[in-house]
Amino acid sequence: MALTSHPLLSALRRNPTGAVLIALQIGITLAILVNAAAIVTRAIQKMSRPSGVDTRDTFVMTMVGLSKNFNVYSTSSADLAYLRHLPGVAAASIVFGTPLTDNGSDTSVGRSPGSRGPTVTSALLPVDQQGLRTLDVALIAGRNFRGSEIRVPSAAHPDPRIGEVIVTQALAHALFAHQSALGQTIYVGSHTPSTIIGITRNFMGPQLGQHAYDTVLAPEIVTQYDMYDLLVRTRPGQRAAVFRAAKRHIGTADPNAVIGQAVTFAHAKRLLYSGLRDLAIFLSFLTLVMLALCCLGIFGLGTFNVATRTRQIGIRRALGARRRDIVALFLAENALVVAIGAIFGCLLALAIGQWLTDHDGVARLDPWYLLVGVAILALTSQLAAWQPARRAARIPPSVATRTI
Amino acid sequence: MLEMHNISKVYRTDMIETHALREFSLQVAAGEFVAVSGPSGSGKTTFLNVAGLLETFDGGTYRLDGQDVSGLSDNARARIRNEKIGFVFQSFNLIADLDIFDNVDVPLRYRRMKADERKARITNSLELVGLTSRMRHLPSQLSGGQQQRAAIARAIAGDPALILADEPTGNLDSLMARQIMGLLEKINSMGTTVVLVTHDPELARRAQRNIHVIDGLVADTVAPSDPAARGPHGQTHAESAVD
Amino acid sequence: MIGYYLRLALRSFRRAPGLTALMVSAIAIGIAACIVTLTVYHGMANNPIWWKNGELYAVTVNPSTPNRTREAGLPAYGPGQLAYDDATYLFGSSIPKRKALLTFLFGSISGAPDQTRPLPTMTRATTAGFFRMFAVPFRYGGPWSKAADRGPEPVMVLSGRENHKLFGGADSVGRTLLWSGHRFRVVGVLAPWHPLPRFYDLSAGNGGAFARPAGAFIPFQWGPVLGDWPAGDLSCDTHGSSTTPTTYQELLGSSCTWIGLWVELPTPAAQRHFLAFMQAYAANQRAAGRFQAVNTHLWTVSQWLTLHHVVSHRSGLLVNLAFALLAVCLINTLGILLAKFLRGAPVAGVRRALGASRRQIFAQHLVEAGAVSLAGAVLGLALSAAGLAGVRLMYRGSSAAYGKFAHFDAIGLAWAVALAFVSTIVAGLYPAWRIGRRAPATYLKSQ
Repeated sequence: MALTSHPLLSALRRNPTGAVLIALQIGITLAILVNAAAIVTRAIQKMSRPSGVDTRDTFVMTMVGLSKNFNVYSTSSADLAYLRHLPGVAAASIVFGTPLTDNGSDTSVGRSPGSRGPTVTSALLPVDQQGLRTLDVALIAGRNFRGSEIRVPSAAHPDPRIGEVIVTQALAHALFAHQSALGQTIYVGSHTPSTIIGITRNFMGPQLGQHAYDTVLAPEIVTQYDMYDLLVRTRPGQRAAVFRAAKRHIGTADPNAVIGQAVTFAHAKRLLYSGLRDLAIFLSFLTLVMLALCCLGIFGLGTFNVATRTRQIGIRRALGARRRDIVALFLAENALVVAIGAIFGCLLALAIGQWLTDHDGVARLDPWYLLVGVAILALTSQLAAWQPARRAARIPPSVATRTI
Repeated sequence: MLEMHNISKVYRTDMIETHALREFSLQVAAGEFVAVSGPSGSGKTTFLNVAGLLETFDGGTYRLDGQDVSGLSDNARARIRNEKIGFVFQSFNLIADLDIFDNVDVPLRYRRMKADERKARITNSLELVGLTSRMRHLPSQLSGGQQQRAAIARAIAGDPALILADEPTGNLDSLMARQIMGLLEKINSMGTTVVLVTHDPELARRAQRNIHVIDGLVADTVAPSDPAARGPHGQTHAESAVD
Repeated sequence: MIGYYLRLALRSFRRAPGLTALMVSAIAIGIAACIVTLTVYHGMANNPIWWKNGELYAVTVNPSTPNRTREAGLPAYGPGQLAYDDATYLFGSSIPKRKALLTFLFGSISGAPDQTRPLPTMTRATTAGFFRMFAVPFRYGGPWSKAADRGPEPVMVLSGRENHKLFGGADSVGRTLLWSGHRFRVVGVLAPWHPLPRFYDLSAGNGGAFARPAGAFIPFQWGPVLGDWPAGDLSCDTHGSSTTPTTYQELLGSSCTWIGLWVELPTPAAQRHFLAFMQAYAANQRAAGRFQAVNTHLWTVSQWLTLHHVVSHRSGLLVNLAFALLAVCLINTLGILLAKFLRGAPVAGVRRALGASRRQIFAQHLVEAGAVSLAGAVLGLALSAAGLAGVRLMYRGSSAAYGKFAHFDAIGLAWAVALAFVSTIVAGLYPAWRIGRRAPATYLKSQ
């Protein structure tokens, strides 16, 4: 035991700067590792949020009118008729806005008229009768819109009133908490009341961010902006073929209209998380490189130390130290340095975590990450120190008697 | 050449003060071959370090070649070491990964000499020690005696006025040792002052003057026992040994 | 002496090739990580018209303090765009040297020879000042006149890209095209122009900060004249008493915001003057009951970029991380250099005995450290070029911003040189200093 505890400290005392530098490296690496792991984990959690819609087989085409001769109602009816007869199409619908993207309108929704009382910012998705079916979103309460409820306001008869609405479960909860929202009256963006006739499962509407699941569905075909969105869901596996055929036909059907944008839900979802995904990839990559470099540093310096201490180790061996005593000596030395580094690293990790919380609104660092991080670093650094330690153990006792 | 008056040198650690030199006075004239001898721990090495400006001293005066060297800057001391002093060490202290030529080159480099002059001096001094054919060998490829000859070539390459030799034969067998002593005597015969530090009374006797150091003090100065037996520059046995 | 020191450094590297490789690659990786993240970051944080930063101003007017959702980034400052009445009134001021109204229209261009299908074109409806104010380069022709704004005259400027699609890149000035069915005369064709970020229009609904400029430009008043709905961001305050406009006439009279206004105010006096003018207007509107607050602002281009979070926190995070990585690499190298130098201390002692001064020993070791850093920087440059190519490959064909800036440039080179210098200082200075301080005598006697 005397062999492993006393020389340990003396070795560190002999080159304190070297030990401090290794500890510093380990500390920084630990701090970064822990925070990066926390950020990446949260990113993965966020990316694995369910979209609530069929991302494999759905796409949206935004149609834009080019002249005064363009009539949303007639052109869209023709488009729908074509699409619904196209083999491979499961459902098609006219909407205004694209779920999973930022293309759409949002509105304030409250339980009392105007800006009296609390309001919730929600996406507003005007749909026709086929809307829910095309989105493949099931109702969990109430009913779908009836054909007679779908309104087509025109310039001549503007009708800003929305009579009946369907809301997502998340929005219903945001407005009424645990009360039943069905049949309740809400105020959507104006003073006139609407009745909730149905509640759907959660899905991501045409609004991103925190409130992605808050959507009001309104029974309306929006005509005043000379544009509309065709929402199409195909039978499984047929999306590519239908997407191609639809683009070809609908892009040329009406000379007064062009396809402004055509996007599949799969693509929209990829775009939606591209920033997060990239962040996760880059963070993981840089952190791993850092960990690898830290280990290489320990390995390099360890090898070097063995070379400089060859004679001393030889003398130890001559005095009766076994190989495993030498390995243990080197590993114990490393462990001591790692322990110092880990303490420093934990403090630094907490400081960085606090900074991230203050500046980027990242959630507070879970202490579990610290524990796992220390374990990972302790393990990898011991692995890095092991090879030089074994090399040291191979030094023959005869070195002691040799002159250099 | 070398005048020391009442030099003192104290090593201090947290707990102890060691007086390595106490009122150490010594004068060595130009062209002399002086041996400084004494038992282990007597202050020989401290004297050599102070004399070679490798260390500073705490009190007294030291004039080297007529110049007062106390209070000189590190740069000035390095310059004096480079131009006026040549060192020969017990362990040779050749730089292991430089070949012999480059080793001899080191002091000349610090003198910022032109390449052709450096080359001429290196070849000359290697010729003098008889190592011209080994100039591209690494120190590890030479025997101990050859290494010490290379070290001597390095010491004299800069044409110093003073050679300080610290146990130059300590790591060598007696034949080699004689060879090295002969070489030092030959250098002395060409006008260079040589101060030889040794614990070996046998070697010390070969000098013109033997200074005995005990406990950091000059104990006594012994003139050569038989001045007539030696030439004016003490080169009686030298020639045969070198070849 | 430097030559001599370099030769010695080279010998030292040859003695420990593994450690040298480790140090060089550590520095290279650290530098490369910094350059790649910095290049992308700088691209995003770039102010493409920096030389006019003190002269160009975006105008905002906050008529109330509503909690607007579209301008989530600008809570206290109101919408990033203006309502028609406010925009046109403020645009009428003669204080600015140049000024421009901006909105987006969706149009289709037809009527070019050999054209079979109309070309859908995002069209910038703006005013004559746009081109000179934002230093837009022309290939053929030039901007339309101020008089053409008032008419408005049927004049059009094409982007180089659209001109290439329609006319194969030939000089089309003087040609007549149909824009959404109306005849327009081409007066100018732009040279390639793609400022990144697109500082003058950062709203997400218009494509965001990194979108391509419009394909065609027509006078602003054509929107109202043709009743063409804006195709870009349109934000309506649904909290107030007004309802969402359903006709174009209602849109013009509403407080919905959809128009950008930029002014060029070259002198502090002009800035003060215009600000006072805006405040007077807002106060007037409040008195009339249209506004609830007087809250007007002028923003420089760089403020405007900051306000819109063009530089995401994420890329800033990655830059910080890259520098932390570099720090670890440098500490690594520092440790290895220190150990290496201390091991060579006896040799340094011999050199000192042979006449090397402290300063010369220091210089020799600093040169060695510098050589490691320099080699690291050179390798780092190669790595960053590879890394940037990787980033480009990853984002090929994607609209994400990263790929657009992943080009090696002079700034990256300057950073590499600077970082190599810093590396030498950080990793080399201390070990070189330590070795220079060692008393030479220590190593001469024993082994």
